[in-house]
Amino acid sequence: MALADAAASVPNGATVALGGLSMNSAPMAFVRELARQRKRDLTVVAIVAGMSVDWLAAAGCAARVITGLVSFEGFGLAPSFRRRAQAGPRAEGGLAVEEYSEHLLICRLEAQSRKLPFVPTRAGLGTDVLALHADSGSLRQEVDPATGKPYVACTPLAVDVAVVHVHEADASGNARVNPKLIWMDNEIVNAAERTVVCAERIVGSEAFVAEPHRTTYPRFMVDAVCEAPFGAFPTSCFPDYGHCGHFFEEYVDAAASQERFEAFFAERVVGPESWTDFLDANGGPGALIDIFPRAGRADAGSIGGQGAAQGAGQAGGTEPR
Amino acid sequence: MSVPGWEKSPPARDYSVDELMVAVLAGCFRPGDQVCNGMASFLPVSAIRLAKLTHAPDLVWLAGAVGLEPRPGPVPASTLEAPLWRNSLMYVEQCGDFWTMVLNGRFLSKFCVGAAQLDRFGNANNSVIGGDFHSPRVRLPGTAGMGDMGSIGKLLYYWNPDHSQRSLVRKVDFVSCAGYLSGGRQRSDLGLEGGPELVVTNLAVLDFHPDSKHMRLRSVHPGVSVEEVQSATGFELLLPDGGEVPQTPPPTQAQVDAIRTVIDPHGMRRREFRRMRQRAAGGPKAG
Repeated sequence: MALADAAASVPNGATVALGGLSMNSAPMAFVRELARQRKRDLTVVAIVAGMSVDWLAAAGCAARVITGLVSFEGFGLAPSFRRRAQAGPRAEGGLAVEEYSEHLLICRLEAQSRKLPFVPTRAGLGTDVLALHADSGSLRQEVDPATGKPYVACTPLAVDVAVVHVHEADASGNARVNPKLIWMDNEIVNAAERTVVCAERIVGSEAFVAEPHRTTYPRFMVDAVCEAPFGAFPTSCFPDYGHCGHFFEEYVDAAASQERFEAFFAERVVGPESWTDFLDANGGPGALIDIFPRAGRADAGSIGGQGAAQGAGQAGGTEPR
Repeated sequence: MSVPGWEKSPPARDYSVDELMVAVLAGCFRPGDQVCNGMASFLPVSAIRLAKLTHAPDLVWLAGAVGLEPRPGPVPASTLEAPLWRNSLMYVEQCGDFWTMVLNGRFLSKFCVGAAQLDRFGNANNSVIGGDFHSPRVRLPGTAGMGDMGSIGKLLYYWNPDHSQRSLVRKVDFVSCAGYLSGGRQRSDLGLEGGPELVVTNLAVLDFHPDSKHMRLRSVHPGVSVEEVQSATGFELLLPDGGEVPQTPPPTQAQVDAIRTVIDPHGMRRREFRRMRQRAAGGPKAG
């Protein structure tokens, strides 16, 4: 399915959960389409996020963000998320932030996916996060009557659409992250009513039969597949490519003035027509640094020379493709 | 694969405070410990690597909560990304597996936390500063894993590259990570084990009084006076028993060499100092 068509199936006001982490495997090609289509009033669920949430904040698509963290890590704070969150939900263009710890949010998603009234955890006890959700009742601090031990009851979090980025999918929706580093992506897929998979490559089904132990999501859990080469840009897709530090730096730099940022966002993010045009506008695939230094490059991390030999030609321990 | 001769290395004469902080944090990790790191944790990652290269070669490190016992290159631009878990012996493939490991009290007992605000009872804030939670003066990244690690029995080691009245406050604006709450027995009464052990700043090393759980000065860095530390702190610090405040030992020459040439030749650890300055100033103007 074309990215634009998959994004068009997300109605205004939907709850959309985004996979990846701040710097890794976020479904950016899909997020860009949501921004281009000027979605409104979205609730965005992103457990640990960065640029994906910031694009939806910048484009005015998000009304609420349910999250544990939004940041550009070493590159600084996420400027649009920050600006709109500081304005607050009552302000024009402002954002409501529903903050959870990582495990509290995972437990809410697990309660949803397992059809339980709540999932208990010790995580978050003692923090002010619990009080944020006392009125809505989404989290409740309770005491187990049998043992007297306190726990947090995490109630279900309904998700309309989950969007995750993977390495490979077949046309029917079988998908794999290979090597399988999926962080919390399975939690949002399990909880969601629908799942959209964005894949670096579309492959034949025989690839899954050949290595069934590598299948991450079977087709009955996947409702749409989009091909999106370099679709996580500017975040990384290990081991294919690293994050694009230049993009993060330019983005944060432009945000020093709202006028400059709006020009940057229009020209460099939502302006380009296709995903390929977008990549071209941002230096193309060459702008992505290699995750691992190739053989022959200096390996400053080695002691006594063992690192260079070990690093050479082992792209993260995966089989050659 | 330790740094040769690290045991007998003399104190360094030329070092910077980030290197001293890395050396102090490295000393928190003992042989047999297991530790994982979170994001933007350049000083802790440098410290973990330094410990492994010197006194604790068998320290178990779960890099970025993903790559177990990696042999990484230089500290990369993200401490939650692939270059950090290079040459791991196992990947923790999904967070569910990580939480199962970490919620089990037997594993991964130590965790380093960096936060914008820290209070006298070791509670940390990385969520909002000033104003109302829903329209704060400064929106920070968020609670993420620290909100979990503070509640599940881990020993917490705080680092703070900007020891000031802005960052060391009487009471945090928001408890993102549970320390000793209101002090005394409050944490243990809630059934929480573990808690803050140490605070390593650019001026001093601090710990917590065993009974009151109030922050206490343990040592001041070379060239820093007790008065300077006190005046840069937003509350009255306790002093060690006897009142004498020792000096933090400087890093050894071997430690400094390892940090500069092997562990972090690109100086990622210094990003944290820029980041904290940016935060303290209210961050980049976003319009």
